[in-house]
Amino acid sequence: MAIKDFLLPDLGEGLTEAEILQWLVAEGDTVTLNQPIVEVETAKAAVEIPSPYAGVVTTLHHAAGSTVDVGLPLISFEVGGGDVAATAEAPAIQGGDLVPSAPKADADEKIQVLVGSGPKAGKLTRRPRKGPAPAPPAAAPIPAPAAQVAPAPSLAQVHVLAKPPVRKLARDLGVDLRVVGGSGPNGTVTRADVQAAASGAPAAGGAAAVAVAPRPDFDRADFDPATREQRIPIKGVRKATASAMVQSAFTAPHVTEWVTADVTEMMALARRLRTYPQFAGLKVSPLLLVARALILAVRRHPLINSSWDDASQEIVVKDYVHLGIAAATPRGLIVPNIKDADGLSLPQLAAALEALVATARDGKTAPADMQRGTITITNVGVFGVDAGTPILNPGEAAILAFGAVREQPWVHVGQIAIREVTTLSLSFDHRIVDGQLGSEFLADLAGMLNDPWKMVDFTA
Amino acid sequence: MATLTLGKALNEGLRKALENDPKVLIMGEDVGALGGVFRVTDGLAKDFGEDRVIDTPLAESGIIGTAVGLAIRGFRPVCEIQFDGFVFPAFDQIVTQVAHMHYRSSGNVRLPITIRIPYGGGIGAVEHHSESPEAYFAHTAGLKVVTCANPVDAYWMIQQTVACDDPVVFFEPKRRYWDKSEVDTDAAPAGLWSARVARAGTDATLITYGPSVRTCLEAAAAAAEEGREIEVVDLRALSPVDWDTVFASVRKTGHAIVVAEAPVFVSLAAEIAARVTEHCFYSLESPVLRVGGFSIPYPASRLEEDYLPDLDRVLDAVDRAIAF
Amino acid sequence: MTEASRNPREYALLPQPSEGPEFVQLLTPEGERVEHADYSLDISDDEIKDLYRDLVLVRRIDAEGTALQRQGQLGLWASLLGQEAAQVGAGRALTDKDFAFPTYREHGVAYCKGVDPVTLLGLFRGVSQGGWDPAEHGFGLYTIVIGSQTLHATGYAMGIQRDGGDAAAIAFFGDGATSQGDVNEAFVWAASFNAPIVFFCQNNQWAISEPVARQTRIALYHRAEGFGFPGVQVDGNDVLAVLAVTRAALARAREGSGPSLIEAYTYRMAPHTTSDDPTRYRLAADLETWKLKDPIERVKAYLSRNGIADAAFFADVEAAADELAAHVREGCIGLPNPEPLSMFDHVYAGGSPLLDEERGQLGSFLSSFEDEPALLDSPAGAVSR
Repeated sequence: MAIKDFLLPDLGEGLTEAEILQWLVAEGDTVTLNQPIVEVETAKAAVEIPSPYAGVVTTLHHAAGSTVDVGLPLISFEVGGGDVAATAEAPAIQGGDLVPSAPKADADEKIQVLVGSGPKAGKLTRRPRKGPAPAPPAAAPIPAPAAQVAPAPSLAQVHVLAKPPVRKLARDLGVDLRVVGGSGPNGTVTRADVQAAASGAPAAGGAAAVAVAPRPDFDRADFDPATREQRIPIKGVRKATASAMVQSAFTAPHVTEWVTADVTEMMALARRLRTYPQFAGLKVSPLLLVARALILAVRRHPLINSSWDDASQEIVVKDYVHLGIAAATPRGLIVPNIKDADGLSLPQLAAALEALVATARDGKTAPADMQRGTITITNVGVFGVDAGTPILNPGEAAILAFGAVREQPWVHVGQIAIREVTTLSLSFDHRIVDGQLGSEFLADLAGMLNDPWKMVDFTA
Repeated sequence: MATLTLGKALNEGLRKALENDPKVLIMGEDVGALGGVFRVTDGLAKDFGEDRVIDTPLAESGIIGTAVGLAIRGFRPVCEIQFDGFVFPAFDQIVTQVAHMHYRSSGNVRLPITIRIPYGGGIGAVEHHSESPEAYFAHTAGLKVVTCANPVDAYWMIQQTVACDDPVVFFEPKRRYWDKSEVDTDAAPAGLWSARVARAGTDATLITYGPSVRTCLEAAAAAAEEGREIEVVDLRALSPVDWDTVFASVRKTGHAIVVAEAPVFVSLAAEIAARVTEHCFYSLESPVLRVGGFSIPYPASRLEEDYLPDLDRVLDAVDRAIAF
Repeated sequence: MTEASRNPREYALLPQPSEGPEFVQLLTPEGERVEHADYSLDISDDEIKDLYRDLVLVRRIDAEGTALQRQGQLGLWASLLGQEAAQVGAGRALTDKDFAFPTYREHGVAYCKGVDPVTLLGLFRGVSQGGWDPAEHGFGLYTIVIGSQTLHATGYAMGIQRDGGDAAAIAFFGDGATSQGDVNEAFVWAASFNAPIVFFCQNNQWAISEPVARQTRIALYHRAEGFGFPGVQVDGNDVLAVLAVTRAALARAREGSGPSLIEAYTYRMAPHTTSDDPTRYRLAADLETWKLKDPIERVKAYLSRNGIADAAFFADVEAAADELAAHVREGCIGLPNPEPLSMFDHVYAGGSPLLDEERGQLGSFLSSFEDEPALLDSPAGAVSR
């Protein structure tokens, strides 16, 4: 003997509830299979429900006149063994959820569906998933673009994988996707890859050549009181910069050399130039003369103004100087460059420097201005720092850190004197620049700053 | 080896089908004594008899509905719907019965029915004779859909279609019925469900089928004069589609343009564009463009040259794609 | 056309069935045997008892279907109540070689053809779209698009012509279906090709809520004449008359004389389906009228009055009906719910790569859930796996 509950079924009209019109049996009655047990109202017509079991009625769960939700127990029977119906599970419910919170149809607008069990209630919650969301189906692994692999096919054959927005960005920044390494899944080129290739890495250890744009203030309130930590997302320029630095630092073997020079004469020249009419309204800073000296030194040691093209296994020596100046901007460190700086007169170079600095400070440096630099100066002296080991801007062979100009005791003409002294640090790509070249270049540069007359071209 | 028109190639293919299997029947309006309004069934009633090449009453639904019964009885009916625009009276039988019977019977009933439909425009016809209704059928689960573009494919694909145990809608590009080429009737045919690279190229991919294949080949030839190498993929099978061939081509060129006569809105071209975008996203240099008919009923014949995608419209789309 | 017949709400049936011999009857509603000039029936007492048993069993299958629907075991049931004689009479006229193309209400014909009634339940329970093999018993799948099967039957008959089979096709359809283009096309084709087919129309007076007067101005059997083949109207509640008329029509077909139309004049005593509410469009008084013409009562009266069957026989038949009903009930409740991925089966004989892909995707999706796929969205209920 077993107790069987009969749940109110959806009588095929999208019912979510029904009203009991009258019971045709009472508790304790013995009923046969299919004997009519109750009349319910559906769509304004009475429907008799036949008994699904043969047995004894134990419970009428609702009184006549009450409204019952589909899926709730209507009537229970005590059923003997061996009854066909008793071997079945409780009559299956049609459609919808069993939860009483299933949407109720208005009693006056029962949905009549002639041809099936009617509309079902939808899900209201998500089913729990296993583990992390499945990764999108991975395509067969695609080798990184051939630009990274030797021997390299011609660029025309390289098929780059990149999302359409990334392609547009590359085009806007003037980046050739085929020579950009792809750090995305399956070797795809990402937005960060493109931005890194475009901006180049500013000197890692260097600070700006300009008045520093305000750093994010670390307000106490920014720290999570629970962990006492603040999490800053790695994205945007910072991310691109970091990526470029990493690429540079771990690709080119960096060697750094220092020289400390007496630049009193150079400083005097700067002060003097400020009074000349050609420089009226222009800023004449020590950095201007360092830049000029560097350009002249490059002329005499052109190999220092080159890049290592791994794809084609060539060192590309450039006959132009696009001089990069590391700059701090509201969004981070960038290295805009002055195109063809070697073709500018000193006043033009001064103007260009000034414009570059102002633009960078306003955060308006154009992408094109950050591309195709050939050599870089980072002015750490602005912060009162002497020297460092700057990291090369990717695609370049040398970077000069220009330290603070200090008054220091110095041996001058055989006696101790107070002189203006500075340290110049030169990092270079040792694959291209050997120790001799680096040293000679640096000495040459320092010599011009020590004795500015050496910057005059006596051959012309 | 013979030089055959596309129409004649179909005729020869149907002849072979009738020879190879005595259960093959051909039925349709005017297919018997007349040999079909395009002569595609020319001579077949004479050689195989009226009981096998049946002139039917003028009732498209009847053609397809009785074909269902014949198929249940064990025959292999090849139905002809005389023109694309007249398939609609039969649409109910095709979609609710032909397409569903195998599923409805849990695989017990096979309907190896071929439904041949001449389609497409460019023949200067009156209303209802230039339609491209292939999307309705490709959209219907339970049907397969193919289309030939040249005499070689016509000859082999019609035979393969008749031999297929599933119901297949076989679209015939009526404007190409008179195109000629050599057909090697001894060669091994390509698979029925394979797409074909009709022309290799590197700069862009034209994905097309049926009457537009020749248009695209002509466009590609013109582009080559301008130094552009365009790849043309002839889908051949519209449902199911040979996606592998399509994707390989798009990944190679980075530009996909779909060309078909059918109105672009809610067309097969739209499905191809969506699927290519999904699967070739990282290779795309431009969005997938679609060149096809406008959202109008097929226009009067003196306007059809401006309506149908032609060489200039195709190359314009290629230009726009490459300029992205 | 009278006003009444134009307005379904104020409906009027067509004038009562044709007068005299045009309305073929061999057994009156009171259970009297009568003769007909064109149709005689050579039938033994035992055979009539067998017919009685068939009628009772068919009615019981149908009653069980209705009950099962009311108990939530079937989503829907299309009842044949009142039409038992039309279906048994036709069904028992068929040989094994004849092929029947039903609509979706011919559970009585299915029974006669040897189809297990449980086979029919899958589509009403929502676990399949039919699923049986028509070739097994010569009984086609239920066709829900009205009238489509008449063309299939005609084509089948044309196939018989072509392969020389000694068989006929029979197409079942209702009065409403005669308005469909496909049915009329089938008549055209059957006539044009002289196909070996019987068109069997159960005129049960109603197409859901629309009376037959909305479908035709003329008694349906007259239609045949317009198409060029014979039509006959028979008392659809008289199993003997239906048997006689159908046998004759099948013989005609088999001997090469072409198609016939039989209009079995009967009444749909139950709603169109279990979701229909006939009180909205027809009068209870009509039902009372037709109860007096009950197909089973007249046979019982005949058998009793003539001492052909006794109480023991009738009890026996009831017991057999109970047993069959239990079989139907058990079979229904025991029908397995389909696995989700089975929805991809049988779309094509030759398969499809797109379906394989989609099946794989759904499979991955379903197995990404922590819980068992416990609550299947099965139409017959939420069943734990």
